[in-house]
Amino acid sequence: MNLAIRWPRTLASRLSLIFLVGLILAQALSFGAQYYERYETAKNTMLGNLETDVSTSIAILDRLPASERASWLQQLERRNYRYLLDEGSPGTAMRDTPIAVTSIKDAIGKDYPMTVTDIPGPIKHFQVHLKLADGSPVTIDVRPSMVPLSPWLPVVLLGQLALLIACTWLAVRIAIRPLTRLAQAVETLDPNAHAVHLDEKGPTEVAHAAKAFNAMQARIAAYLKERMQLLAAISHDLQTPITRMKLRAEFMDDSVEKDKLWNDLGEMEHLVREGVAYARSIHGSTEESRRTDMDSFLDSLVFDYQDMGKDVQLGGKSEAVIDTRPHALRRVLVNLTDNALKFAGAAELKVENKNGSLSVKVMDRGPGIAEEELAQVMEPFYRVENSRNRSTGGTGLGLAIAQQLALAIGGSLVLSNREGGGLCAELKLPIRPAGQ
Amino acid sequence: MEHVDHILIVDDDREIRELVGNYLKKNGLRTTVVADGRQMRAFLESTPVDLIVLDIMMPGDDGLMLCRELRAGKHKATPVLMLTARNDETDRIIGLEMGADDYLVKPFAARELLARINAVLRRTRMLPPNLVVTESGRLLAFGRWRLDTSARHLLDEDGTMVALSGAEYRLLRVFLDHPQRVLNRDQLLNLTQGRDADLFDRSIDLLVSRLRQRLLDDAREPAYIKTVRSEGYVFSLAVEVLGAPS
Repeated sequence: MNLAIRWPRTLASRLSLIFLVGLILAQALSFGAQYYERYETAKNTMLGNLETDVSTSIAILDRLPASERASWLQQLERRNYRYLLDEGSPGTAMRDTPIAVTSIKDAIGKDYPMTVTDIPGPIKHFQVHLKLADGSPVTIDVRPSMVPLSPWLPVVLLGQLALLIACTWLAVRIAIRPLTRLAQAVETLDPNAHAVHLDEKGPTEVAHAAKAFNAMQARIAAYLKERMQLLAAISHDLQTPITRMKLRAEFMDDSVEKDKLWNDLGEMEHLVREGVAYARSIHGSTEESRRTDMDSFLDSLVFDYQDMGKDVQLGGKSEAVIDTRPHALRRVLVNLTDNALKFAGAAELKVENKNGSLSVKVMDRGPGIAEEELAQVMEPFYRVENSRNRSTGGTGLGLAIAQQLALAIGGSLVLSNREGGGLCAELKLPIRPAGQ
Repeated sequence: MEHVDHILIVDDDREIRELVGNYLKKNGLRTTVVADGRQMRAFLESTPVDLIVLDIMMPGDDGLMLCRELRAGKHKATPVLMLTARNDETDRIIGLEMGADDYLVKPFAARELLARINAVLRRTRMLPPNLVVTESGRLLAFGRWRLDTSARHLLDEDGTMVALSGAEYRLLRVFLDHPQRVLNRDQLLNLTQGRDADLFDRSIDLLVSRLRQRLLDDAREPAYIKTVRSEGYVFSLAVEVLGAPS
């Protein structure tokens, strides 16, 4: 058996619980105190009335001729006690004396000796037996009951409860909302994209947290920018020495060493270019967006490959004209296609226009990428072990650049392994991209 | 005496300009090397040259400014080959819009520079003089189309970009440079072969049909590129040269 009460998980429910339980307890306490106070007052008044009433009634009965007594009983009857002109019902001796009996005794006990019997039953019921001056028996039949509560009281109590719940909900909501917003902002924080500036208004603590968050965001962006500028600067400055080396190499006599040097320089050049391209893809492009006919765009891309003798095929028609940055888009597709050609020797492009978004798939039948590495390969300088390793060349930036540029043009890039082997890189573009 | 082409090399890096100068000299060209725009202007005052190799990234007046200056002055007919450190389409386009005839990305191979220099010299000499200034950075208008010669794509009436493959662009340029003239397949092949000549293996007929598709030209009743039976093709519309694209 699980006795432990589960502490609710969310801050909202915890706060609500604390508020609600606290307020209900406080409310119950004050209600109880007031109720008790009222009860005491009512009882004292009632007992006072009882004393006067009983002594008056008994005096009346005592002075009336025995024949007239019965007709007066009706008038002397009260809500919870009445008079009987007989010995009463049989009962048992009273264990503890109710206060009503004490009051009766106080009122008439001096003049009339009395016995009290308890009538057993589900409801409290007792009788006081006494004898009038002429010796005839009188029984006071008492069915004590509390003063009834007003019928509107439960309604008021329920109303109060509802008010409590509503106030608690409102208070918790107000307290939690900035926190939720902060959490959302942190969740969607992407230092490469445009920063989400949090509202620095609201309660002091929240404003403080928002300020701290904004500052942190600015710092991250600054670090990233610095990193990119460093990468761009190094890559850029390397171009001059590489140019010199290439020029010098051309003065060398033809030899194996010259060819090797030439290849090394080519590799360095490629690295430097990719480095610059990656830095620029993050920095954002100055290229303007323009209306582009997608089918001719893809055709020309594929024809350029085919004209170079590469096995690149295009399937499907988009029949779409979209606003995009053509050079960035071309770079994304070229990087993906080059990748496919590198690892599979052939690439297959497929374009689809489905419900408001354009999908361009670049597929190959190469070795693919292990599932657990699919997300990582788009990180800069990441290289897949085994099949797609360094020996096949490449800087580890091609996919990172493609990914960055895809984001920059409002699209998304997803890699997946194909059934039957090979990689599928799917670029999704909105047909109507939102703003710039 | 045979004319030896005189090449002026403007680059702020001493080693690069000297290495380039020596390489070109070794390959039979006459070269002069200068370090910046000031020296370039001073030299051009006294000596006309056949081609200028201009580095874009230079302290002081950069290559783009110098190129624009050349185009505006009395050296507007001198071909310019730009050297850029950034392999970026927009840089290339800006360079061409400033009036450069070709561009080369650093780091480059000296033999490629030599090939480009020769290609530019050959091209500028071949073209009729009225087309020399329209070589780059201009829009060519024909029918419902405009061809942006620096970005190398077509624009329709709405300004929608219609991309061209490299081979398609070169073929279209040949037609637009020789409008209303019948060109046979050999001529087309020769004129279309750009610097990627070795990579070009499509038959002219296939290319023409692709280009017609691109221009939305009906192959049976073509309005732009007409087939001349047993002779070749003719671009049948007039070509208008517009200013630089906005």
